Amino acid sequence: MDRSAAELMMQRETAVQYGPVPHSLSGEPLAEMSWQMLGGAFLLRGEGEHYFLYRKGDGVTVERGPDADVSEESLWLNGSVYAAVASLNGLLPIHASAVAHDGRVFAFSGPAGAGKSTLVAALGRHGLPLFCDDTLVLDLSDPERIVCLPGHKRLKLRPDAIGLTGAMPQEKVSKTVDKHYALPATGEVGVALPLGELIFLEERPEPAIMPITGAERLVRLQDDHYTARLFDSARKFDRAAQFAHLARLARQIAMARFVRPLDRDRFDEGVALAARHVAQPRS
Amino acid sequence: MAALAKRTDRFSEADIDEEIVVMMLDTGQFFSLSGTSAAIWRLIDGQRDRAAVLASLTGAFHGEEQAVTKDLDEFLATLREMGLLVD
Repeated sequence: MDRSAAELMMQRETAVQYGPVPHSLSGEPLAEMSWQMLGGAFLLRGEGEHYFLYRKGDGVTVERGPDADVSEESLWLNGSVYAAVASLNGLLPIHASAVAHDGRVFAFSGPAGAGKSTLVAALGRHGLPLFCDDTLVLDLSDPERIVCLPGHKRLKLRPDAIGLTGAMPQEKVSKTVDKHYALPATGEVGVALPLGELIFLEERPEPAIMPITGAERLVRLQDDHYTARLFDSARKFDRAAQFAHLARLARQIAMARFVRPLDRDRFDEGVALAARHVAQPRS
Repeated sequence: MAALAKRTDRFSEADIDEEIVVMMLDTGQFFSLSGTSAAIWRLIDGQRDRAAVLASLTGAFHGEEQAVTKDLDEFLATLREMGLLVD
């Protein structure tokens, strides 16, 4: 199966080696659980003396100090490090989980706890394969369309969500995270696909899906998730360039709001509505 | 009367669906225009004066001249207040 240039770049640039790294890029001390980005390089410090350095063309180097929590390492690599590598190479990571249908990606976005992972896992019961969990990486290199890179993270679900979604539970994510890896009911899609729609999750008493039009599309793209902060830091757009970037996304991405009650008894009703929405015929 | 012109150094704009989104470059704040205000914004091109803009609007909005004149003058005043028109 042919892989896109962006996928091959990410595979190359996220290759990991182990060894000592500088503990600061700026000269300022780097606190635990924080990062610096400077001159095309990214340095992250996890808990204790656990450092992750990325430099363009050199891949990722991990330094494990004696107190590093190795069980968290893949979470750092697949989270902030992956998003930083994507951002420094012109890709846009967004906070969303997605399914694929008819050659297009349908992504669900919302704050932590909004139910993104649970929803895409449950859509597997409706025959919709998982495309990504938690982070969707967009390739903007073609001005005519926005292409999504297949997910690089394994699906993670809380114990109660596993029962709700029909996903098959796997091992626990880490010692400190109360989630399990899970296999979605209809499997996963592993090829790059164009973005079909970005759907924002909100809580309301009655389930409904409504299109988002006009300026609200641009407003919705203003995100404070860590992926957006990494992209902003990497691209260093001035106001006009940032506006042009958001306006392009707003023009090219179809958007909708999916409102539903966060009520276990009505969970299946909302999932069925989302499944019908994704599967409806489109031009 | 002098042609109406925008201070293009003070904003960026984008068409999204039927709306025009305008961002102020000094503050980063933005607002959207639709309907009559979007039509006026498009007609302010550095060539037309107020009378020409009014004539185009009146044609487009089927001759409701009194209401259109009020909308035009209010919108031009707002744009002047925001520093978006060349004096």
